[in-house]
Amino acid sequence: MFDQTLIRVCLILGSFITAGYILRRVRHAKVQIEDTIFWLMFSAALLILAIFPGIAYWAANLLGFMSPINFVYVVIIFLLLAKQFFMSIKLSQLDSKVRILTEQVALNEEKAERDKLDL
Amino acid sequence: MSKLLIVIPAHNEEANIVQVVEELTRSYPQYDYVVVNDGSRDKTAALCRAHGYRLIDLPVNLGLAGAFQTGLRFAAENGYDCAMQMDADGQHKPEYIAPMLAALEEGNDIVIGSRFLTVKKPKTLRMLGSYIISWSIRLTTGRAICDPTSGMRMFNRAMVEEFAQNLNYGPEPDTISYLIKNGATVKEVQVEMGERLAGQSYLTFWRSVQYMVKMSISILLIQWFRKRDTETPYPERSL
Repeated sequence: MFDQTLIRVCLILGSFITAGYILRRVRHAKVQIEDTIFWLMFSAALLILAIFPGIAYWAANLLGFMSPINFVYVVIIFLLLAKQFFMSIKLSQLDSKVRILTEQVALNEEKAERDKLDL
Repeated sequence: MSKLLIVIPAHNEEANIVQVVEELTRSYPQYDYVVVNDGSRDKTAALCRAHGYRLIDLPVNLGLAGAFQTGLRFAAENGYDCAMQMDADGQHKPEYIAPMLAALEEGNDIVIGSRFLTVKKPKTLRMLGSYIISWSIRLTTGRAICDPTSGMRMFNRAMVEEFAQNLNYGPEPDTISYLIKNGATVKEVQVEMGERLAGQSYLTFWRSVQYMVKMSISILLIQWFRKRDTETPYPERSL
């Protein structure tokens, strides 16, 4: 079941790879720091679940899951869904910003051309 | 005297901006300033135009970091020797610009207008965040920064260029801690700050908590992994 070492080792590996990759991106200034916080917390959550399997056993028992690993899945799915939700909102905001910027650039261009013609 | 640019980022500050700029230009006409309107939804930009203030009007909201970076790019492109941030809500008093400039000319890279250098920091819930950030900086750099969250900061030419060109150089305490670690000299100068003149502060309780978590993780963990690259110009780095 969940106390199989393989699953725990996989979780720990996944956690370290996530953190390592995101910190490498920070090192080379390829990502903004505020966007890394989620992934660092996500990898911390994986690490905690792997190191203390008691949490998964306790929560699975409390919520009536068949197997503790299901609780781990639920946590991961929940975190990713929440991230997806906030990314959707952010994407929508970015989309509208790009639209406003494009309109602005085009309007400026038109104004510059009109001024040139008037001269 | 060094040529100083005062950057005034303004987001929805129609109630304060006129009073702040008027006080600055009336009492201290020797300093140059620029208002960066950060996509305000109110009449901030219109008021600046009506009064003939020097204005950079961002068409979309970028947040404080983006607005301030715009000001610093302006400073870098127009040959200013140093630049400082001044809030548009009237908390930062222009009479402290001269002592801060003097401290910068002693050879410091960054000068912070600090509320708590000679004054004891009050032990209130509001200041808890400031204490935590101070401790984090102390722990990771060994330097005591009494008022890390003060927005009244002055930068020399090298810092202006670095801030203007790079990613992850927000005007926040984590950048300060990172720069101290990389050998920048930071000095604090005692200043007094007023309450905001009018309007609502952006920092609600929940936003303050989020800010604190972000700053703590950033200072204690992330800043260790950053690599300083001041050689490659920004356009040559791809995201």
